[in-house]
Amino acid sequence: MGSDLLLILFTAAFAAAASVPMIIIPLIISPKKPTKPKEMQYECGQIPSGAGKMSLMMQYYAYLLMFVAFDVMSMFLFAWGLSIQTVGLNGFFVVVLFIGLLLVPLGFTLYHAGRREIW
Amino acid sequence: MALIRNLLEFLIRIAILVVIIIILIPILLLAAYHLLGPTFPIEPSMLLDPSETLAFTLKLMDTDLFRITVFPGFTFVALYAAIAGLWERKLLAKMQLRVGPLYAGRFEGILQPIADVLKLLSKELVIPKVVDRFFYILAPLLTVIIATAAVAVIPVTDKWVIARSDVGVLVIFAVLGFFPITALMAAWSSNSRYPLLGGLRALHQMVSYEIPLILSALAPVVYAGSLNLIDIVRVQSSVWFILLAPVSAIVFLVCALAELERIPFDLPEAEPELVSGWLTEYGGMNFGLILGIAVYIKLYVLSALFTLLFLGGWLGPAFLPPEFWFILKSFIVTTLLLIPRGVFPRLRIDLLLKQSWARYLILALLNLLVAALVVLSGFSLR
Repeated sequence: MGSDLLLILFTAAFAAAASVPMIIIPLIISPKKPTKPKEMQYECGQIPSGAGKMSLMMQYYAYLLMFVAFDVMSMFLFAWGLSIQTVGLNGFFVVVLFIGLLLVPLGFTLYHAGRREIW
Repeated sequence: MALIRNLLEFLIRIAILVVIIIILIPILLLAAYHLLGPTFPIEPSMLLDPSETLAFTLKLMDTDLFRITVFPGFTFVALYAAIAGLWERKLLAKMQLRVGPLYAGRFEGILQPIADVLKLLSKELVIPKVVDRFFYILAPLLTVIIATAAVAVIPVTDKWVIARSDVGVLVIFAVLGFFPITALMAAWSSNSRYPLLGGLRALHQMVSYEIPLILSALAPVVYAGSLNLIDIVRVQSSVWFILLAPVSAIVFLVCALAELERIPFDLPEAEPELVSGWLTEYGGMNFGLILGIAVYIKLYVLSALFTLLFLGGWLGPAFLPPEFWFILKSFIVTTLLLIPRGVFPRLRIDLLLKQSWARYLILALLNLLVAALVVLSGFSLR
């Protein structure tokens, strides 16, 4: 496993070595004629006003919270899926119960994300 | 006079570039030699003697360096990305009764990818003043690096694979989990409104569709009883998993479309409302690195993963080599992922997210439980 990880890191490092020139070459050969409008951020031709990093409604925040729960659940299911022969039918019913328990908060999330009047 | 001055300036820049390349190449060769060092006995005479050329090449092809840089590694996927990009443009053009790229390379614009890269490389690099420069430059680089890291565990055949990982499926999902972070990094560092809105949408969408994607990939894993991608393909020698887990396969394809931000799920880059989403402030080669290379490498990773999990990987009739079957199947899956762009309209963001959690998650779980029951009832492919 150690050498596998090293090989994956080498592949990523080669990708970095191959794409850094792609950023450096334009710095050297491309023309530079900066003007003021060019260096503004883009807002459909308007002169931008105010901060770009504004505060936004996180109306789908409930989904992000569900992701935290379900990501852990999916990893747990991977562990169960690999040892399915050893845990047998009893383990299967436990997992069905576990998924059923998680579907209750999922239904609650879907209900709350659908309530547009509270945003 | 101005023309001559511009020309002179251009020539000087080219000269600087050539000098840098001349200095860099020996350094890179030296690094490669040290990387090969212990496993690869190289002698200068092998390079000079013509009768040893074939033996030398064969030996070189058997090294990790060759695999990382050329065949299942970076050069192969970059080529695949270029071909898939051209194929997408031509295919969509034909579907919509246009002609697509036509002039570069005389025959049907076949050299268009090269022309695009040359254009992007020679364009002026416009970076807005308000951006957070470090992360702004880092985001496209990281996107390419992460996409290529996932390629390392994908076996083209059982011989052509960079890292023979026992947990290949998990490695790919772990790497795919980084993409929302780079999208958000690009969006936040741009310090502009359209990128921020697009980046948040990308975050919600990628995160929501990751769960059904992971769970739909679990059904083949349950049938095969292994996370090793090579093992999963070997088990499919009698029957492909798309016949045993058809619902999972469809869910996987839909979620792959959403992870790739392609139409009908291209809300992060919806042109009429968000200009170009989280890529709005990017231009020149920074833009090309993300949209020209990283997105298509990700497309390759997901279609190769679908091929390995559901379509029997490199297995096929013996009159053609297994590498060919793998690339052919991956390319067909890639085409399946490209076609919706010419057919479907765009969804609304709340419907998109609700659909992921209320439909695809349930469908993937149902097929997973069915697969588990089938395996528990004594069905085995081994």
